[in-house]
Amino acid sequence: MPLKFRHNFKKMRVLFFAQLKDATGCEWTDIPPAANAGQLWQVLVEKFPRLAEHKNNVRLARNWEYADAKTTFAETDEVALIPPVSGG
Amino acid sequence: MEIQIQLTATPIAEKIFPPANFGAAGAWLEFRGLVRDEENGAKISALEYEAYPAMAEREIRRLLENISARHPCLAVRVIHRTGRVPVDATAIFIGIASRHRAEGLALLGEFMDRLKQDVPIWKRRAVPAPATSMLPETGSLPAKIILKSLDEAILEIQSRCQLRPAIRVLLEDSFGRVLRETVCAPEDLPPFDCSTRDGFAILADDPSENFRIVDTIHAAGWQPRELKIGETVRVATGAPLPCRGVRVVMQEDVRRDGDRINIVSNETALNLRRRGEEVKKGQPLVPAGARLDAGKLALLATAGCGQPLVSPRLRVMHFTTGDEIIPPSQTPQPGQIRDSNSFLIRGLLEKSGGDLIQAHLPENVAAAKAASERRKPEIEAADLILISGGASVGDKDFTRPLLEHFGFEIIFSQVNLRPGKPLIFGTRGPRVAFGLPGNPLSHFVCFHFAVATALATLTGIAGPKFLRGKLSEKLDEAASARETLWPARLFFSCGEIHLQPLPWASAGDVTCFATANALLRVPPNQNFYAVGTEMDFLPTTDMLGA
Repeated sequence: MPLKFRHNFKKMRVLFFAQLKDATGCEWTDIPPAANAGQLWQVLVEKFPRLAEHKNNVRLARNWEYADAKTTFAETDEVALIPPVSGG
Repeated sequence: MEIQIQLTATPIAEKIFPPANFGAAGAWLEFRGLVRDEENGAKISALEYEAYPAMAEREIRRLLENISARHPCLAVRVIHRTGRVPVDATAIFIGIASRHRAEGLALLGEFMDRLKQDVPIWKRRAVPAPATSMLPETGSLPAKIILKSLDEAILEIQSRCQLRPAIRVLLEDSFGRVLRETVCAPEDLPPFDCSTRDGFAILADDPSENFRIVDTIHAAGWQPRELKIGETVRVATGAPLPCRGVRVVMQEDVRRDGDRINIVSNETALNLRRRGEEVKKGQPLVPAGARLDAGKLALLATAGCGQPLVSPRLRVMHFTTGDEIIPPSQTPQPGQIRDSNSFLIRGLLEKSGGDLIQAHLPENVAAAKAASERRKPEIEAADLILISGGASVGDKDFTRPLLEHFGFEIIFSQVNLRPGKPLIFGTRGPRVAFGLPGNPLSHFVCFHFAVATALATLTGIAGPKFLRGKLSEKLDEAASARETLWPARLFFSCGEIHLQPLPWASAGDVTCFATANALLRVPPNQNFYAVGTEMDFLPTTDMLGA
């Protein structure tokens, strides 16, 4: 019996904060799911060239926690770009 | 260690008390980070903060838990402002209860260092001085300014009201209160892969048409079992699946014969919900600042939050005045009117979840002062005092001296608004009071823009907000030198908000209450608005969720 599986083609949501809102002109964007930080940056810089100059100062967060080099991303994750913080 | 974290867009209270029930604490350490009047060498009047709230709260908690492993403390409270914070105001408050001062001081120092490295909160921009903006700086406006515009009055009330310290209460007692910390999912939801049908679990890639039933799983039970080709497990709706890589065939799609089934209909749906499909562990469920309604209570219960951190119930003392006032059941003699304001205020306060005490005062300052002596404990304890003005004596000559007698400083005593011009606003420390002009429509108007703003700021919820809608009828009697809040009936038509201005002759007019559910904001000195004009309005019911 042939089987077909239903799929939800979800997109990955990426949030921007502080000066990155100015650089991108938006608070968030939806992109095709990226598996790791390298892919994610590639897609984002293509979409928002002005992000390139921030890349070295920005940390990635996945589901409200800082990501590290090994972090992988899934399509339902909430991803955020965190520029240098200045609270307090 | 008990941890309370709040991100708030409203001013941080001047006095924050140490948590109760910490008999072991020998130290209560408080730190306030203030906004300096200078940023990068330039004079400023305010800083604007931005936060990523869900992550900021988690990061603060993670840092505190980390640091307290080395410097064990009993309780920590962190409050960080967001939005515009004026010079001199508190941007961050930290309170630490510890056995001895040393570990509290160590935790404070280390935490502030880490906060400035890791917590996603930003100083977004500095507002240069002198501010050209309308926003008053807390405490810097002279109290002598009397006639306020509507916007000025709202900002003044917001800046004078202090957020009440949050408390933990049983979930059972939290309906209608304002949640003060974001509640996150403690685990994945659903917590396991489960079936959405009554049916039979089979391996997703099993090509068989005939299966042997090897087990049964009810909604409440779970027996893990690796399925083989040709095997199936009977599952109930909501039941955990026996293993990974399965799908569920609806019972309607099979023919059962003893312990065997045949698939008779080619249904391709998986009929299951994946673990964490709805909510992932740690995902924010209900944000701080939400009023807890039935649905949110159910969600908090699902998330295992049995004692939410909420705003305390406000104690409200309401005095009616006027010697001509009689109860609704009596027939008025000439010169008398039935008391409607008590019922108006009682109804309006119902949804804010406060504790209301109502009493009547004679309309003579000396007699009212004497009569209020009996109510002294309630007056002293009230977070909010409302005095409904009488009609026969001017409000200025009665309410103002009475509030001053109660120890209040009068912040303003007139608003450039119709109706509602003689609105009085005063504060005594963290306590606030309003003198409401006696006419019912003035009460209605003043409640919805002024008292509602105070209630929102005291409890940490978003305040009244003007929305936009279209006039369904022309408005051609609007001319007034004062800004007007005009009673209107709001309705939806073709997906748009329409507003029908309601006729009213005077501030004593109450007939419009039968249909009014919004207040149109009419600018001063304009006398005609055509059908279809877009105007600002303030909703006065919850029909918009506002």
